[in-house]
This record gives sequence, C-alpha cells and structure tokens, in this order.
Amino acid sequence: MKHPAYQLRPNKAIDRLTLIDALRRLAKLADLSEYTYYGLGGPYLEDFRLLYEFYPEIKMISIEKDEETFKQQKFHAPCGTLKLKRAQFKSFLSHYEAKDRKSIFWLDYTGLEYGQFEDFMMLLGKVAANSVIKITLQAEPREHLRKAKEFREKFGALMPNASADPPRTRFGFAYLVQQMVQIASQSALPSAMPAMYLPLSSFYYSDGTGMFTLTGVVCFRSEVNKVRDAFESWEFANLDWEKPRRIDVPMLSTKERLHLQHCLPRQKAGKVLRRALGYLIDRDLRSSEFKLAQYATFHRHFPYFMKAIP
Amino acid sequence: MSNSRQKMEYLPVDASPVKSFFVYMLTRDISLEESILDLLDNCVDGILRNRPANSELKPYSGFHAEIELKKDSFMISDNCGGIPWRLHDYAFRMGRPSDRKLDVPGGVGVYGIGMKRAIFKMGQQCLISTQNGPNSYEVEINPEWIEDEKEWHIPVRAASKSLSEDGTTIVVLDLHSHIAKRFAEDTESFKARLNDMVATHYAFIIDKGFQIRINKDLVKPRPTRLAFRKGGAKGPRIQPYIFKTKTDEGVEVFLAVGFTRPIPSADEVSSEQEEKKYSSLEAGWTVLCNERAVLYCNRDELTGWGEANVPRYHTQFIAISGIVEFKAADASKLPTTTTKRGIDTSSRIYLQVKNKMREGMRIFTDYTNKWKAHAEESRKHIEAAGVPLSFEEIKTASERLPFSPTKTQMPGGKQYRPQLPMPKRIEPRTRRISFVKDVEEVRSVAEYLFDDPDTDAARVGEECFNLILKEARG
Repeated sequence: MKHPAYQLRPNKAIDRLTLIDALRRLAKLADLSEYTYYGLGGPYLEDFRLLYEFYPEIKMISIEKDEETFKQQKFHAPCGTLKLKRAQFKSFLSHYEAKDRKSIFWLDYTGLEYGQFEDFMMLLGKVAANSVIKITLQAEPREHLRKAKEFREKFGALMPNASADPPRTRFGFAYLVQQMVQIASQSALPSAMPAMYLPLSSFYYSDGTGMFTLTGVVCFRSEVNKVRDAFESWEFANLDWEKPRRIDVPMLSTKERLHLQHCLPRQKAGKVLRRALGYLIDRDLRSSEFKLAQYATFHRHFPYFMKAIP
Repeated sequence: MSNSRQKMEYLPVDASPVKSFFVYMLTRDISLEESILDLLDNCVDGILRNRPANSELKPYSGFHAEIELKKDSFMISDNCGGIPWRLHDYAFRMGRPSDRKLDVPGGVGVYGIGMKRAIFKMGQQCLISTQNGPNSYEVEINPEWIEDEKEWHIPVRAASKSLSEDGTTIVVLDLHSHIAKRFAEDTESFKARLNDMVATHYAFIIDKGFQIRINKDLVKPRPTRLAFRKGGAKGPRIQPYIFKTKTDEGVEVFLAVGFTRPIPSADEVSSEQEEKKYSSLEAGWTVLCNERAVLYCNRDELTGWGEANVPRYHTQFIAISGIVEFKAADASKLPTTTTKRGIDTSSRIYLQVKNKMREGMRIFTDYTNKWKAHAEESRKHIEAAGVPLSFEEIKTASERLPFSPTKTQMPGGKQYRPQLPMPKRIEPRTRRISFVKDVEEVRSVAEYLFDDPDTDAARVGEECFNLILKEARG
C-alpha cells in the first residue's frame, strides 16, 4: 500500500500537536493513565510516537487492516508498549466494548464517506464518559464539483439543508462537514440520552487536499459545565460548534524562525513579523501577513523539518 | 339473591371524553416533526380557503409560513388568510362534528385534530392570534384550562393589535421538558430533520410558490424527478409507466414510476452492501394526497415492494422511484390516516391503485434485472433521456402519449406502458466471470497493465481475460 509522505505535512503536524494540547487539559478531568488511545496511525505511527513522548502513561493500540502497512508499523513502532492490531476498523468497532474504560479515538480518515459517519455515530454510543473522539475527514470541494446530486444522495441525512449543493470554497465545505459531524453526534446521542458530545476544537487545512478535523469529548450532560471549564481558556477551544479555524502555516527556514522567535507571542503578529523579516514571504502583503499571523498562532506547535544524514 | 338483583338501579354511565386523552394520549400517535407538518397543512388549507380560484402555475406564490424553534418556545406564523370566525367551532373544537360541511375543497383537514394535537404535543400554554378580514381575535390555552376537566370553553378576545396581512400566529410556551431539550440540545439534528421532511413532503407545494422558513432559513424543495425521453424517433426508450383515473367518488389519481438515475453497476451494489454509501436515496414510492406527501420514498410492502411478483426492495433497485397522487375536493375520500403521514391500508381506492403501482414497478425491476450485467450500456439509454422531469412536467409531457384503457382492474382508468430498450439477445450469449483476489495483487496487475494501480478492478480482470483469449486463439 502506497502512502503520501505523512511526515512532510506541516499543517497536519500542527493538528497532531493541538491534540496533545487538548489532552493536557483533559488531565484536569481525569487521570490520563486511565485512558487508552486507539488510532489509525499509518505506516510511520506519527501520532503514537508523539503521544508516547508526551504522555507515556496512556495505553496505545493501533488498528490497521493492510498487511504490508502492518509490517511497516511493526518496523516503525515507537515503543514496546504500543499494541499493533491487524483488523478492519469497522469490525474492530463492532467488537469494541468500553466496560467503563476511558478511551481516546482518532478516526483519521483520508476520504469522505457516509460509512465513516456511521462508524463515528456507533462509537459515540459505545465509549465511556469523558472519552475523547477526534475525527478527520476529507473536505475538498473540488471532489464534488458537478456531483451535487450524488453528494446529496450520500450525505442528505446529515446535511443541514439536504436540498442544497455543497459549497465550493474550502472554508464553506469544511464548515458543512462540521455541521454534518454535529448532526451525526446529535442523532447518535440525542437529548433523551444522559451523555452528549461536546466539541473541543475544529480545524481545516490543506497539505495538498482539503481536510477537516474535529476533536470532542463524550460527557454526561449533568457534567458538561465541568468539561467546559477545563477547556474554556484554551486558545483553540471551540465549545459551541463555531466556525472551524484554519491552519495554513508558511514554510519558513530555520534561520527565519529563529529570527522571528523573539517577537512572539504578540497581538497583530502578521504585520510585526513581516516588518521583522523586511520582505514578503508570499505573493503579496496581505497573504504574507496572513501566513505570518498563522505562524504566530501555531509557532509552538510547528515542528522543525531539517535535513538529516543517517 | 335474585331479589337484590332486581332492586339494583343501573344509571347511564359517563362516556364523555376526558381532556387528558387529547392532551397526553392522542399526541403519542404522531411524531413531533409530523405534528409540525400538520400545522403547515393548516396554512395550506388557509390558502385554499382564501385565494381566488385560478389555474396559475404558481398558485401558492406570495404565501409564506415561518417556523421558529427556540429553547423555550415554538412559533409558526403565516399570511395564509387567518381563521374566519365562522369556522371557530371547527378550528378549536377537539374533533370534527359529523354534520359539518366541507369548507376547503382540496384541503387535507378532515378530523379536526391537527392543530390541537400539535399544540399539546409541544407544550401547556398557547396563544393563537388570527386575522381574517374584519375578524381579528386571540385564543389562549393555559395549563389551568387543560387540567380543568369540566371546562370545555376557551375564552376568546379581540386581538390587541392588527396584522399587516391576514394570517395566523401560533406561539406555544411552557414546552414539555423533553421537547424543550430537543429544541435546545438537538437543535441542528432536529432542524435538519424537519427541513428534510418539509423539503420532501411539501416539495410540490413549495415548487408552486409557497415559502417556508425554519429559523429564518428558506426551505428548498426536493422533488423526485424521473427520466423521460421525449420526441425523436419511435421505438424503445426510457420513459415512466403512467396510470391515471378519476373515481366515481371524485378522487383523481395520477401515477408515474420510472428511473431517477442510471441503474447501479454490480460493483456499486456489492460495495453498498459492505458499507452504506447513500444516506438519502430517492428510491421508492412517494404518495401525495392533495399535493402533500403522506409517504416519502417508501420501500416496503405498504407500497407494493415484495408483493405479487414484485421483488423486495434491494440496493440494485436504487434507481426506481414512483409518485402517486390522489386529489379530491373532499379530503375524507383520500386514503390517509388521522396523522396524514400514513396510508389507510384498508382504503379501497388505495388497494386498487396499489395494483397499478406494482404493475408499473415490475416493468422497471424487470429492466434492472435484465440489464444488471450491462449497467454501463444501460446508463447510455437512461442518460439519453436528458434532464429528468418533475411530476408536473411528466403530467404535461404525458398528454401526448398514447394511453390505453384499463378495463378490468380499474374501470375508467388509462395507462401508458413504456417500451423500454432490452438487451439484444434474450438468451445470453455471454457469461459473467467473477472472482475475488487480494487487493495488493489486483493493484500490482493494474500497475503492470495500465501503469495505474487504482484502475477499476473489473477492467483489470477483463483485460487479463482478453490477453489470455488472444493467446489461446493464437
């Protein structure tokens, strides 16, 4: 199975680190050693590597259906405590039983299919309270141009307006996918149920293909304020299904980054950083300042990509 | 012993209705979404009552209804003419008196329960304000009235302010806690579901100009459209089966069944069985009664699937869709239940028409079975029909078709049976080969043959066969 160069996707790398951020706040609600992380980590298991680095107390299980990728995973396993399972995710889900044990799931899909929402809905009804579910889906409007009818046939049951055509902009499309996740979560856990799904953060980005990602927690309705309190002050919090935040960091050299470091953090960073560099890093002033502002927002989560000689 | 029996005096028993039956029991027969559709039915009946008779293309144009869902209230307001004072007995009474004459030809209100049931479904307090010409009044229902079993009169007062247009506003407060929770916590999913129901059940009325907004968002109609090849040379072509009649009781029936899209390929059918790909298909039957859908995309025995030689619904039939319309000036002749979102299965007219629904359906299930091995070729036929037609467009286009009478099953009825294209040889000269191989192996062969590992598996298999065939024949 061929895979894209996952390790070279800067915006996705930032998204991974925001999950690490979210888990730091989750620790206010429960001891992280009570959690098990389930992921679809691909051949390099980047999310597991990161998780082990920050929270070694979290148990980790990877689920992979492809035999060759599974072998690659065995080769790349970041630690001896990671359990690698070879299974179809759907079949894993049907056998999964929480037994009150808290989980962190990352449904890290690369496409957009109705069946993936069904997995998500099924999982919402199964996990223990205070479990985290993160879902990543493709949100690429180009894929659905001139295929509006097919899109409605596929996703009509989850669309806020099942007669409408899918939006053509990246933001519009990502927001529609978020609304579909919201409707799916309210259908899986309606108000008659004691538990609900509270969103924690949502982003859209593109490392070539538009993607949308949302992290949320399943909690008792009676305890929702406690959960909100734990995340309210987080800079990336989106606790009320507001518009998703864009991740679109510029490629900066290490020299540029070190040069900009002393200016951060600060307000109106785009203009300040542009002046500090003294030149435009993108096609014009506006987009250069936007990208530098993006860098300022995510600079702590932005990994360094360096050439290494093995 | 026998003496004491003789002494006993049996007084008449009390069989009067109790309010709790209406408030707590009758409301269980209907979903929240359906009860809101009942309120929209009243708006449309209001238009029919008040608009001048005409045959415009957009008879509902200029009329609108606004629905507002809030965590502590529900509101629907319209400009559909209001409730004339002469109808107060009907509008506010629980049930319809049998001597009451029909007041809205072509409406759907029969049982006199829709508005009251919708209100009690949602809450305990309600204010109905209405303006109809010189009449402008308000009716208030409160929890004390609901609890008082003896009091059946509801006070009416003159409206405190006049409206710019004749219409009605209903505000329900003191919502039942589970309803308030649905409005407050299931907001998006409830609104999406209601929007979908309005877009499908009211598609034909919205298409004719009626505007409905839910929390300020305008609902777009989602009508079913069928492939209909018009004009051109004679011969087999993709068209719907059509049946129409008018019964002695004054019910007009128009039925059309056909294809909404090309039939699915074998791969599409098998992948749909592994993982649900479509959440909102148009397959199945939509039944309209006086322009309002009482069933939408039904795919079970209720509409003839799996009965009398019609196969059970299966993914391979996702392209088949039908619409049947019943129209009557007297709504009690229509085959609906009291909820108006269901079919009265014992209705004689429905049973007769269902025969025709099955007859039409069989043409298209038969076509699908014959072509399923050649879905790509069939696609050309279906796509050649051009943009599928709406129900109204089908009615207009059908005027040029040669109908034949249906004498035995439905006297007075007429039908058009399309002649669909059929595969050239009935006795198959071809054989289907299908086999399963490891995904990676298929990808390797695909890359070897086409330089593209993602090439469709069927194409890879076919090309392998072609290569070997060439070799075998030297």
